[in-house]
Amino acid sequence: MKFPIAWRLGLILVLVGVLGVGLTGYFAYQASRDQLVKASEERLLTETRVLMRQVTVALKGIVADVRLLAQHPQAERILLHTNPGFQALAESNVAILFEGMMVVHPEYFQIRLIEAANYGKERIRVDRGMGDILRIASADLQEKGHYPYVFDTLQLAPGAVYISRASINHEAGAHAGEERPSLQVASPVYGANNKAIGVIVINVDLQGLFAQLAVDLPPELNLYLANVSGDFLIHPDPAHSFAFDRGQDAHVQEEFPDTVALLHSSGHRKNSVVTSKRDPSATTEAIVAAFIYQPLEGLEAEDEFILGLSQPLPSVLAQSERLAADTLRIVLSISALAILLAIILARALVRPLNQIVSEVRRFSTDGSIGVLPTARSDEIGELALSIELMEAQIHKQIEDMQEQQNKLDHMASHDSLTGLPNRRLFLERLDQALARAKRHEKQLALLFIDLDGFKVINDTHGHNAGDIVLQAVAQRLRGLLRETDTAARIGGDEFVVLIEDSCDNASIDSIVRKVQAGMSLPIQYQDIELVVGGSIGVARYPEDGTTASTLIAASDQAMYRCKVKK
Amino acid sequence: MFFQSALPKIFVGRKQLLLVAAFLLSFIALPVWAATPVLRVLAWPGYAEPEVVQSFEKRHGVRVEVTVITSDVSLWQKISMHNMDYDVFAVNVAELQRYITSNLVQPLQPEQIPNTHRQLVRFRNLAAIPGLVSGGKTFGIPFTYSEMGLIYDRKQVSAPPTSIAALWDTQYRGKVIAYDGGTHNFSLAAQKLKLKSPFHIAEADWQRVAENLIGMRRNVLGFYTQPEESAELFLRHKAALMFANYGMQQVHLLKNAGADIGYAIPKEGALTWLDCWVITRSVRDPELAHAWIDHLLGEQASRLLTERQGLASTMVESTATRPEDRLLWLQPPEDTGRREKLWGRIRSGDKLSRVMAP
Repeated sequence: MKFPIAWRLGLILVLVGVLGVGLTGYFAYQASRDQLVKASEERLLTETRVLMRQVTVALKGIVADVRLLAQHPQAERILLHTNPGFQALAESNVAILFEGMMVVHPEYFQIRLIEAANYGKERIRVDRGMGDILRIASADLQEKGHYPYVFDTLQLAPGAVYISRASINHEAGAHAGEERPSLQVASPVYGANNKAIGVIVINVDLQGLFAQLAVDLPPELNLYLANVSGDFLIHPDPAHSFAFDRGQDAHVQEEFPDTVALLHSSGHRKNSVVTSKRDPSATTEAIVAAFIYQPLEGLEAEDEFILGLSQPLPSVLAQSERLAADTLRIVLSISALAILLAIILARALVRPLNQIVSEVRRFSTDGSIGVLPTARSDEIGELALSIELMEAQIHKQIEDMQEQQNKLDHMASHDSLTGLPNRRLFLERLDQALARAKRHEKQLALLFIDLDGFKVINDTHGHNAGDIVLQAVAQRLRGLLRETDTAARIGGDEFVVLIEDSCDNASIDSIVRKVQAGMSLPIQYQDIELVVGGSIGVARYPEDGTTASTLIAASDQAMYRCKVKK
Repeated sequence: MFFQSALPKIFVGRKQLLLVAAFLLSFIALPVWAATPVLRVLAWPGYAEPEVVQSFEKRHGVRVEVTVITSDVSLWQKISMHNMDYDVFAVNVAELQRYITSNLVQPLQPEQIPNTHRQLVRFRNLAAIPGLVSGGKTFGIPFTYSEMGLIYDRKQVSAPPTSIAALWDTQYRGKVIAYDGGTHNFSLAAQKLKLKSPFHIAEADWQRVAENLIGMRRNVLGFYTQPEESAELFLRHKAALMFANYGMQQVHLLKNAGADIGYAIPKEGALTWLDCWVITRSVRDPELAHAWIDHLLGEQASRLLTERQGLASTMVESTATRPEDRLLWLQPPEDTGRREKLWGRIRSGDKLSRVMAP
């Protein structure tokens, strides 16, 4: 498989870009989500704190009520029977007071005046019925001395208030409060002899109280209440509330293990815990919850409360879902941008490369090279420059080779001693001249020159002298002849001259005479003068022959005749 | 080249494929596992300690599935509705009768349980324990028990109380702590009145018994339901006497808290719950179930029961009781509902006429 560099480069750029954007988006989302969860946890904790404060305020209100009633002089008078004549009236007055309080406080199940004597006999009792408030007839009053809210309260100092554990009220005949979660708040009634002679008890509707306090909470929040042993008293699932009363277990530390730090058994007791629950079963959604333990200061409480609020995680995360969608959109659009940029970048890089490639390709086919991006100052510019340099070198080498070739060609067709065309070149030119003459019906003439006395010079003065003579002759021939004429050395001391223009006899004779005269001039060799002559034979086309060989043969014979004549 | 190095990481590797294959194979392999015989046991906390289960599995080459139960109600639900799922379970003798009547359990063969010979004489005479034998057939083997004696403060009570009537003794008024439970309290009042059986109150006796319970209510400081609650009440209010519904468990709690207390078994006899092992109607392997019961009566199981749970085994005399002490094995009372209803009124402070009202 072949992937162009543009592809690969583009892909890498895209991958790097998308990966960078994706990771940044992901971590940004994570961080924001954590912050959102944290913020909502803080909010939940604040809500729980506010609620706890309300609970404390509400309890203090109840405490104030109980204290007020316990210190009411009528209560003492009723218990001491100080005025038998007005006993019934006094009891009725107090009962009216109780009833009034019950009306004002819908969270009260019961208000009672109980005497210490007679096994804790109730003296006045007002119950909440089904929508009405009942004063219990004396025949139905019960003995309550064996209940902690009586026997523990009787031990308290004047004005002190007892708050019972939250429990299900199993006392028969308690009307609306029967079998309902209740809290007994009680205070002793003291007699003149500084002796506790009875107690005032208010039974508080635990659920009603918390329903009232929680009424302003956002609907998605769930309320939890537990005692400091962790037993649930209020739970969104009623099956978990007061499970201990049914011989079952449902503890806050089992459902929310972190809350163990709030329990009285904990070594390092904390005041608040924010925790979450991820239910393994898919049916229930995961929740975040805040729990608070706050000591009920200044109250004689048998037990204290752990209060909690929970919120389904999806509602917490709804905001972060939006954030996720936004992040995703941003990531996608930036990724698209990254892809676009990657393509542009890859193309920008690859275009000059492609240009170089196509120019190099053209160079290999037609030997020339076009415009290269040499103006660039980057690596591509350097590459272009190198290629241009290489191209120049290649050109120079080709020229050298051409020159070499020319030299070789020249050597193959010229006589190395005299520089005149050799026999082969001369025959070629003769053939060409003949063809031209035939086509244009022109004349041409051939001079055959043989040096006289050359052999003697060679023999007496050496070959070197002979060579000098030959070179001098050739030099003179070149000087005598016109450019259109061709002189060649075709043998040891044999030269031929081809005359194409002005082939009339007068011109030829003139040329022959000039050549003759030229040949006869002495030639300086070292300090002597050498003299040769030349026998010249002329052959004419078409008179003496029409082919190269017949013309040469004819001129040869004419030369020979001339030599013989001498 | 770029691709070659990057692509394999994107695709699922061979290793992952192998894992998936192994996971799928495990489903096919499961039935092979299940081929090991399984004994399905329902037991109360502490009855089947891990070591006991392991030694049984090792000896018999089986697997034991222990399900822990914590209430009579959940035990009844499991055995009555999912009888097929269990082989052997532990149940209070007083509860056993309804399992027999509903045909949920089956008779067992004591001769297949040789360790019964190691038991104390009072547990070997099965016919003498009401509820174990029905129609001449034995349905349960005693395993552990706890008596409900009287806890007293040695400083306030000079001589150990000898009779259950001590709960009514006015010299301890406001210093007595009793249990908030109708069934047992009616039995106690019946014992105090020397009725023929504390578990069967004759129609003519109900009023007397209720009146006595009002007397008891007037004599006590308060009532408790949980052991910890009882110990706290006892200590905080410096009580003199307490009816120990949870027996030795409360004695331990108080002694650990540093209380100087004694424990007495009244001459009328201490109400005593007794748990026994029984075999379900749909037991898969009766022999294995018998072997389990035998194993639980062995040295290891009995020792751990006493060491770890403080419960009495049926092998050695409990330190809480003397051989001459009378233990009254709990029996189903004549009418639990009536006892609880009347008790609810008594505890609420009603007078006799209202308690006895229809």
